[in-house]
Amino acid sequence: MKKEDLIEWVNKYSGEMYSWALFKVSDSELAKDLVQDAFLAAAEKISSFKGDSSPKTWLFSILNYKIVDYYRAKLKMPFTTGSDSLSAFFDENGEWRPEKRPNAWHEDDKSLLDDENFILILKKCMDLLPDNWNSCVKLKYLLGKSGADICEQMNISKNNYWQIIHRAKLQLRQCIESKWKTD
Amino acid sequence: MKKLMKKIMLSCDKATELIEKRIHFKLTFWEKIQLKLHLAFCKPCSHYEKQSYIIEESMSKIKPESVPPEDIKLLKEEIIKKLS
Repeated sequence: MKKEDLIEWVNKYSGEMYSWALFKVSDSELAKDLVQDAFLAAAEKISSFKGDSSPKTWLFSILNYKIVDYYRAKLKMPFTTGSDSLSAFFDENGEWRPEKRPNAWHEDDKSLLDDENFILILKKCMDLLPDNWNSCVKLKYLLGKSGADICEQMNISKNNYWQIIHRAKLQLRQCIESKWKTD
Repeated sequence: MKKLMKKIMLSCDKATELIEKRIHFKLTFWEKIQLKLHLAFCKPCSHYEKQSYIIEESMSKIKPESVPPEDIKLLKEEIIKKLS
């Protein structure tokens, strides 16, 4: 493979790669940087690309690696899983605070899955999560792997992982419920 | 009796934590029983359980949006400039 091939791939795939990166990091400048980095890395490694996979698969695997790297660096910051975040939802006995108690959403909750408006609200709410939690949640869907795999990759304990997911879910659920009602 | 019930019954914060744990990891036998018992009596946590699964499923349904062609054009030019 040669450099000319790479230029052709930039024209062919960078749009799709940008949209993918933007979807994963929700920041257009950052997404552009990641796509650029991916192509620069590809340029360095192009002689080792033998065409065992399609160029598109190869490029996306490099891009995904860059995205995971970005989140991994972010997750190095200390976790905040203090009890303070839970006490917003539960009283000292661990019971729901009355105003935070989950209500039923819909007669048929399953139909929410096909509701575009619901997905839109979910996306908005995901972006409102604290950085660390957002990273954890997004990584799960980026890597598409089991909890145990993510813990290993991110170097966090299982305990820590589901505690983060627990807090993230509480907040997401609450956010969706309030927006769903007011929107 | 009351004391015993307290020992068996989970609080809501613990119950919701187990609901999340169950999605990603296995619960122990004892945890399963405790959670089942709690959910049988606790309506808010039952709602939470249902909604947690909906959120879980919805997140995997989110798809990338299309981006402005103008943005892509600029990005392409920039990358090609850097590559050559």
